Amino acid sequence: MTGTIRQLIDNLIEERAHGNPSLESTTRTKLLLKGIDSGKYSLSSEDDPEVIEKIKQIAKDMNIKLKV
Amino acid sequence: MTIQVTQSVNPDPFAAATDIATSFSGLKPVAVIFFASSCYDPTNISQAMKEKFPDATVFGCSTSGELISGKMLKHSVVAMALESDVIADIAADVIDISDRKSPSRAIIGLAEKLGSKPLDLDPDKYVGIILIDGLSCAEEQVMEKIGDMVNISVIGGSAGDDLAFKKTWVYLDGKAYDNSAILVLIKPKSRFDLIKTQSFSRMNKILTPTLVDEASRKVMEFNDIPAVTAYAEAIGVDEKDVASYFMTHPVALFAGEEPFVRSPQRIDERSIYFYCQIRKGVDLEVLSSTDIVTDTNIAIKTIEKKNGPIKGLINFNCILRTLQLDKEKKNDEYGAIFQNIPTIGFSTYGEEYIGHMNQTATMLLFF
Repeated sequence: MTGTIRQLIDNLIEERAHGNPSLESTTRTKLLLKGIDSGKYSLSSEDDPEVIEKIKQIAKDMNIKLKV
Repeated sequence: MTIQVTQSVNPDPFAAATDIATSFSGLKPVAVIFFASSCYDPTNISQAMKEKFPDATVFGCSTSGELISGKMLKHSVVAMALESDVIADIAADVIDISDRKSPSRAIIGLAEKLGSKPLDLDPDKYVGIILIDGLSCAEEQVMEKIGDMVNISVIGGSAGDDLAFKKTWVYLDGKAYDNSAILVLIKPKSRFDLIKTQSFSRMNKILTPTLVDEASRKVMEFNDIPAVTAYAEAIGVDEKDVASYFMTHPVALFAGEEPFVRSPQRIDERSIYFYCQIRKGVDLEVLSSTDIVTDTNIAIKTIEKKNGPIKGLINFNCILRTLQLDKEKKNDEYGAIFQNIPTIGFSTYGEEYIGHMNQTATMLLFF
């Protein structure tokens, strides 16, 4: 399977920033500082269970319910 | 708009507070921010400052050097008074670093005092200041928790102790705290903006941390080889000499074009300890230092062009930058950048903005 990481990241950013470009950028930076480099993942990236779990935990910490 | 700054070099904390109060006489500050050398007894300086300004929110921290308009100082107290025409609302609390739930409790409580929920605080209307124990190694966890809960910018620095590396202090309303952070949420009446500036160029060399101990900020391997070897190869020097290149060649995470600098601290066999947490698998770029005075001047001029004259500035300036300025004998030049701007600041053990970083100056500016 591929692409789940990208989808999760996009969904997390969308849920947090609601289309506000400044908040999108800040959220990407917050993810980077937590160890998730959003620029590294595309829809063809292999699904890495460790990274997926990490993003889900970040979403939980941010009180975001992911829709992916 | 009333923002005033002053200083005292009187070694007695109560006399220093009296000097500051005399200088601010006639003002009715809503907030008084002070940065005091660690030569001042922490309990006494905090108590003395609050006694002089009982109606204000009075907060600050210990330092490794102070900054005031036009000058970099040592063994002094610098203070800024902000009146009600600058600040519409303010709320402050202490975060106990040893209590995992303390940051969220503080944020919820502070937002409530401002009549809001944390996530509803408008980033265009509110800003946060954080001062944190500089020896706690907890900046990342505190900043991440805050960042989880709010969208507003939170900026600040890690308290210092004049390079003794024994104990640092944060101050709020007459009390002194260690192993703690002071979080202050402010609703300015005036416009505000932030500067994050660091003086480095990219060397186009990537170091990927492949074996790390995140909690102790230790990297055992970059690029699957010993950290010291990889770092030495990246900057093109002998392994035995790498420590002497730490200040001029730190590494950084890049969020787009924006670097978040991580400074190497020391070598342990073939591992490297950093002043910031390093995340496994997240690429770091090696940097090469450029001129702090030139770069800071550009940052100030750029923001003035955008927003107009600066009415007040709080500068959280990394101690490693101060040491570099010392070495290059450019302290006076750096201080002079802020000559005509009501400025206070201090030399920090780390800087905060979105996260924790090193060899950076983060600044809060009022217009």
